[in-house]
Amino acid sequence: MNATRRALLVTARELFAERAQPDGLAAALTFTGMLVLLESLAFGPGRAREADVASGVFWIAVLFAAVLLSARSFDRDLEDDAIDAVIALPGGRDALYAGKVIALGAILLIVAAAAGLFSVFLLDLAIALPGHLLLVALAGVVALPPVIVITSVIALRVRARFAVVPILSFPMLVPQLVAATQGAASALTGDGPAALAWAGLLAAFTLVYAVLGLTIVPAAIE
Amino acid sequence: MIKTTTAPFPTIRLRPWLGITATAAAILASWMGLVWAPTDAVQGDVYRVIYVHVPTAWLAYLAFVIVFLASVGWLWTRRPWFDALAVASAEIGVLFTGLFIVAGSIWAKPTWGVWWTWDPRLVTTAIMFLMYLGYLLLRSLSTDFERRATRAAVLGVIAVVDIPIVHLSVLWMNSVHQLPTVARIGAGPALDAQMGMTLGVSVIAFTLVYLALLVERMELERRRQARVLEVRS
Repeated sequence: MNATRRALLVTARELFAERAQPDGLAAALTFTGMLVLLESLAFGPGRAREADVASGVFWIAVLFAAVLLSARSFDRDLEDDAIDAVIALPGGRDALYAGKVIALGAILLIVAAAAGLFSVFLLDLAIALPGHLLLVALAGVVALPPVIVITSVIALRVRARFAVVPILSFPMLVPQLVAATQGAASALTGDGPAALAWAGLLAAFTLVYAVLGLTIVPAAIE
Repeated sequence: MIKTTTAPFPTIRLRPWLGITATAAAILASWMGLVWAPTDAVQGDVYRVIYVHVPTAWLAYLAFVIVFLASVGWLWTRRPWFDALAVASAEIGVLFTGLFIVAGSIWAKPTWGVWWTWDPRLVTTAIMFLMYLGYLLLRSLSTDFERRATRAAVLGVIAVVDIPIVHLSVLWMNSVHQLPTVARIGAGPALDAQMGMTLGVSVIAFTLVYLALLVERMELERRRQARVLEVRS
């Protein structure tokens, strides 16, 4: 069995587990919806509709949702000792990392789509460049899992894991947050070249952390 | 299996001399920075913060690059010496990054009019500071020696990505921070010769202080590792 197939098997396992017990997805959807609503109320209707504020609120909500989903995924593995079985297999550590990254990306796309639709509906946002916005949203979502899974693996079986993962991952994710927020704001206001440039930066960010993750993270999986 | 019992910890014989040399160099750098170097025509004496700000910036970068190299060394060889080097350098790096931010803030108030501004260089430096605080936090939460070293090493390798982002942020984004003055691509330093020499001596003095602290901290770590192994055996 090659590495890609092993990773996809882990992905499928993650997605089946989430489908059977969608508590992670339900928590993430509720959380993002509530965060968008609360932050919009906090900023007030006028400011919350501004492109950069709306984008920032959306991406912060998605960022927190990614941490929640990853924590739930690793919790499930630790509860039933599934993680030990996976890493015992040949190439299991690489497959675990890659599979979790792909699965988290897929689930996060659902969460981001729901949060995005909710933001557009709630704030009555005018989207100047929908295609560019979709591209930035896709690049922004895909950029999150490599870093979140890296930090979740590092913090696995560490005391106060739930606090450690955000503390470690948020500083690393600042370039993602800035690029995704600026890119989405550019797409909302009609600045196509800027949106594409930010999407390119997000792609480069994803590539760097995905390669780093695949190279080094398997060594940290216990 | 950890090789600590069979791999002796290298003894550093330069310890006392390093401390004496670092102290002498720090005194010389202080005299040059406060007395010998000329007053700046535009900023007056305020600019003298540069003799602390730039060396601490250099040491912040150096310390975290050493953390990266030591982390690779640990992951490659599993020799505890590398883990001791990584933790020592990370702690000193956090200290110097803190001083770097404070010195920058002291310089910013009279020149920019504010202690802090949301400038890319400042923000990315603060992020680097938080990232390595997270590194130390992660170490403090792990009890098993080998697991702690491996987790920290992985983070030490990944976190190094932030260093070029900090240094190049003033070129990539609109920034009120001045562009690089000494390490300029394709050009010499944009600094008066006397000021440049003082800055050079300051950088050397701070580097010696870093090395002296590093050696002392590694010795503490060596003793701690020895105690852990004693208990284990």
